[in-house]
Amino acid sequence: MSLLNSDVTFDFLILEGALSHDERLIQRFNLPFYEILDTLAARAKYIICAGSCASFGGVFRLRDPEKITGALFSGKEKGGYWLEKNNIINISGCPVHPRWLVETLVALHHGEKVLLDEFLRPKEVFSYLAHHGCLRNEYFEWKVDSKQLGEREGCLFYEHGCLGPMSHANCNKILWNDISSKTRAGSPCLGCTEFDFPRRALYETQKNMSLPQTPFGISKRAYYSLAGVAKSFKIERLEKKLIDEND
Amino acid sequence: MKMTKEIIERIEGEATLELEWENEQVSFAKIKFFNYRGIEEILKKRPLLDALALTPRVCGICSHSHAIASVLAIEECYKSAGEALHITQKAKDIREIALNAEKIHNHIKWYFFTILPELKRVGDTTYAGNAFKDKQWFQAQSAVMQSLKMGAHFTGQWPHGSFVMAGGVTCDPLKSDLISAQGCLDAVIAFCEEHFYGMPLEEFLSFDSALQVMSSPSALSYGIDEMIKHGFDRLGRSFDRFLALGESYRYEGSLKASKTTVLGADIKYVHESLQHTFFEDKHKGYTYSKSAMYKRNYCEVGPLARLMVSKDALMRDFHRRFKDAALTRVVARAVECAHLLWRTKVLIDHINLKEPSLIPPKKDIHSLSGSGIGVIEAPRGSLIHSVVVHQGLIESYDIITPTVWNLGNGDKQNPSTAQKALIGLNSFTKADFILKSFDVCSVCTTQ
Repeated sequence: MSLLNSDVTFDFLILEGALSHDERLIQRFNLPFYEILDTLAARAKYIICAGSCASFGGVFRLRDPEKITGALFSGKEKGGYWLEKNNIINISGCPVHPRWLVETLVALHHGEKVLLDEFLRPKEVFSYLAHHGCLRNEYFEWKVDSKQLGEREGCLFYEHGCLGPMSHANCNKILWNDISSKTRAGSPCLGCTEFDFPRRALYETQKNMSLPQTPFGISKRAYYSLAGVAKSFKIERLEKKLIDEND
Repeated sequence: MKMTKEIIERIEGEATLELEWENEQVSFAKIKFFNYRGIEEILKKRPLLDALALTPRVCGICSHSHAIASVLAIEECYKSAGEALHITQKAKDIREIALNAEKIHNHIKWYFFTILPELKRVGDTTYAGNAFKDKQWFQAQSAVMQSLKMGAHFTGQWPHGSFVMAGGVTCDPLKSDLISAQGCLDAVIAFCEEHFYGMPLEEFLSFDSALQVMSSPSALSYGIDEMIKHGFDRLGRSFDRFLALGESYRYEGSLKASKTTVLGADIKYVHESLQHTFFEDKHKGYTYSKSAMYKRNYCEVGPLARLMVSKDALMRDFHRRFKDAALTRVVARAVECAHLLWRTKVLIDHINLKEPSLIPPKKDIHSLSGSGIGVIEAPRGSLIHSVVVHQGLIESYDIITPTVWNLGNGDKQNPSTAQKALIGLNSFTKADFILKSFDVCSVCTTQ
């Protein structure tokens, strides 16, 4: 309360969680949350949305997408809690990777310009796709499915809902907990950094005429032609176990 | 009648503690949680497996616990529909390692970042602390990160790893992964031996007397001394009634204990109450947290409950001396952490990598109808997921979290476990510490 009643200004206001103008949904200290947020936001140099809820509304927006939104976006549409605001940076992800947050804050603190993508996410993190650095890349290139989960072999894109090729994040470059990632642990990427997280049926690949969606920025013609060619070859090495004890 | 209202800081999420005072003593307490997010509603009509991805988002501490409770509930759905899934020992071991990583990290984090600074604050209310100048803080943080890294070898990431699937786990670790994971675990053990317990783990685990623990200089014995100094060896006692519904290698089945008498427990006696919540009455309610009861009784869940039902010799000695005081509750987390470190080392050493990680169900999930309950022992206590599925879609999903057991709200005639522990205290600072001795998590209460 003392901070609220002061006129202190600050460099960063970090927001976590989805927002709403409806005081019945969110309030603190017996005050509607919008009063607190508007007061503090006016004094912040940068407003940092940490995570997909603050950025786009995320999981909890699903309860009432009309009333619950991100700070500047509601899903992919501009017009969240604020209609316009020129000092917002979205660091989406569920959860946000601690390095994404810290590295952005440090860069801004040093007065560096942080380049942002169309969803106001730092390009150094979000120009990469979760697909980059995935250990199953070769299976993706040659269109070899993972027959079932729980194995090291095969790509999770075709049957298991992996959104790695269309999800912006450097998960497989910098890794999680310094060691691994969802795809390295055999689980599909859930696309948690994107505006439409969480999609329905997260462990199923959405198909159109039995074809999966194309990777981000790759035309259907390019992707399906190449996929057709790749699939026409049977690469024996990729059909086998990565490590076969009987060999 | 005097009434005070304070925001509880340095917990997971946010809570407000409202105390009623009579003759300078707490006569009643209301524990209020205000963050409602509605994950159970969000899950309705979604495909069943989405629960594996969404329920971990309930909590940034217990995300692996939620994932495991969720997969157990889903596997029970298959069973109720006539297909009992076989889960290999390897998959079971990996789930347990993941759960242990989460518990170990939680206990270290809680002791070094909540309990120790809070104890300093109880002694000196002006104490602010500076984590950046405290070397032990850094070392504890490093141990926390190593324990999570150990788990991430199997889960891909913490928090919100999604490494479980109906029929097993998704990861298929190599021997080299096990060696790397063991290295991380060894670093955590080294930290705990040097700082937490002040002696080799094996020696600590051989103890059956509180005096043995207290005789060696360590962060734990320092904490115990401080707690005795401030009276927490007597304060914070509750009903002395414990419940551990989830499995453990240290006991068989679901158990309850009243003082030191241990009996079998059955989940069918669990009851979730909406008393005092906004769900029951949006005007008169004052919290979003429901309350859970066993046969209409409030019970304590968590590390102390688990150690009491497993008849742990060392904890029984603490209990004999201090009953279920705040001190006993705090020490239980430290003692459980030691057991978990040892157990996890054994699990990693003995895991059979030749077994399959996952045996997929035969039944098509899109036509699955049935119901299932998944129960596990999360860091803070028994966690229950209960799901009804129709044609592959979730009809209803109910989550009962540990905080709902410990920190619900009863009334003056029948207070909850934490309320009972707070009544009779003479200062807010002490009430604050005792509330924290339950390892408060507001986000899990108000999913």
